[in-house]
Amino acid sequence: MPTMTLTQTLVMGLIQIVAVLVLIFVMVPLLTFAERKVIGYVQVRLGATRTAGGHRGLTGALNRGMWAMGKVPVLSILRGLPVFIADILKLILKEDIIPEKADRAVFTLAPILSVMAAFGVFSAIAFYPGVLFTFPAGFPIVGGLPFMGFISDVNVSLLYIIGLASVGVYGIVLGAWASNSKYPLLGGLRSAAQIVSYEVPLTLSLLVPVVLSGSLNFREMSLRLGTGEGMSWLATFPLMAGFLIYTTCGFAETNRTPFDLPEAENELVAGFHTEYSGMKFGFFYLAEYTNMIVVSTFASGFFLGGYHFLPFGLQRFIPATVPFFGQPSLIFFFGKVFFILFTYLWVRATLPRYRYDQLMDVGWKYLIPLTLVNLFVAAMIRFAY
Amino acid sequence: MEHLLETLGRNMFGIFGLLALAGAAFMVAARSAVHSVLAFLFTMLCVAGCFLSLEAEFLGVAQILVYAGGIVVLFLFVVMLVEISKFKQKAKLEVFQTQSRVAIVAVLAGVAAFAGVFRNAIFGPTSPEALVLRPELARGLDVAKENAQAVSRGLFADYLLPFEILSVILLVALVGAVVLAKSERV
Repeated sequence: MPTMTLTQTLVMGLIQIVAVLVLIFVMVPLLTFAERKVIGYVQVRLGATRTAGGHRGLTGALNRGMWAMGKVPVLSILRGLPVFIADILKLILKEDIIPEKADRAVFTLAPILSVMAAFGVFSAIAFYPGVLFTFPAGFPIVGGLPFMGFISDVNVSLLYIIGLASVGVYGIVLGAWASNSKYPLLGGLRSAAQIVSYEVPLTLSLLVPVVLSGSLNFREMSLRLGTGEGMSWLATFPLMAGFLIYTTCGFAETNRTPFDLPEAENELVAGFHTEYSGMKFGFFYLAEYTNMIVVSTFASGFFLGGYHFLPFGLQRFIPATVPFFGQPSLIFFFGKVFFILFTYLWVRATLPRYRYDQLMDVGWKYLIPLTLVNLFVAAMIRFAY
Repeated sequence: MEHLLETLGRNMFGIFGLLALAGAAFMVAARSAVHSVLAFLFTMLCVAGCFLSLEAEFLGVAQILVYAGGIVVLFLFVVMLVEISKFKQKAKLEVFQTQSRVAIVAVLAGVAAFAGVFRNAIFGPTSPEALVLRPELARGLDVAKENAQAVSRGLFADYLLPFEILSVILLVALVGAVVLAKSERV
């Protein structure tokens, strides 16, 4: 890798940040669309049906034909896809209301903090362990330089990510407090208690890959855990258990069903963002979906083998000489990310919400002891090997 | 451009330090307790920035994780539940809400003590080599590259006893807090 001047580093960083932002802003709307459709199909209905693939025009002819044959049209899968454009327009153009008695500064700051914490995490995530492509030599400023699959290769990126994720709690708590209203405050307190509780098993379950791989660097951990290099074959079992625990805690950290008590609509109207409207609400929404992507990236990178084809360090059974399946690839990484995102929607369509005392029971009485046992097993394997 | 960035990079520590000071000042002066906590969060993040600019990545990130992430959330938790409306009704503008004379004297005494202790370190001649407690330990590890390893070796191998004693002191504080909280209810 050629040495870069400071200007080149800066410009390259900016290019990569823009690339990741574009990725997020493409994935989040598609995720909301997928949510409608997946939950619709799980509950045996069509989901969003009004836009695209109606009865008029070229696609309409196809749809009419299939309806006439008594079949659900092929294009019904894509129906409702353009709705997300309307969604975004609505969020941006809607009147931005700040309640009279609210603390204006904190009210505005809260969604910004949420989004910043969610986006900042991506600077330490490695989507691909090496060079994705090289800029052509004639390119201004960054010509001839490689475009890496990660923004920064921090030595302690795992700690950085966990730390930033815990800063994300502020958005919810401060937004709840600044609204100066009963329901948001209750939602915010619930959320703070929930996230502080579930952070413990979450971090402990992430210690399993740390112990097994002996690194705190996302890229290195992902590579080592994927190939199973230098690990006993027994390491597969704590990784599997860790994956289940981590995903559960990840659901709780992102306030998704069955842990979505901070916004339990039958009890708290909409929880911490009751008083928010317009793009400020949009930011909370964006942060929630971005956090889902972050949790999926983690589970993919640490437990499901990251850039390699087989999860849980089973990749060692495929020699590196096999064409495609033996090599690390961006496709495998994102395939796993999409699978876990799908699991999010799947669970949401399947499971009811926990009661508050059940939520605390699950966190403190079951998950923490389980993670401790799991960590102990992982440490034993590491020690014995 | 290059020159500008280089200057900026060299003065990063100073920039973060000044920002941290500004945050701390705002924390003391803020009227609302939640604003204080926010300013404290900002200060903690800036201190983490200071650590990062010294290439102590592990310390910087641990600073964010432990202080900004854990402790300040608990602060906020408590502060949100405290009734603060009685402070807001004061029309007279005071920098410190109560005991301002005592506070000023304490701050001045602190500044004097700090200046006395660190006068030589700040204004005196720089020492020819960096101050390391046990230089033979740093040799084996490339400290700048293997931050986490260096810190953990220091904590769990070379200075295990002081570290454990420190954690007992923290435990004492914890027990004390429980005792204080209990006695209020009786």
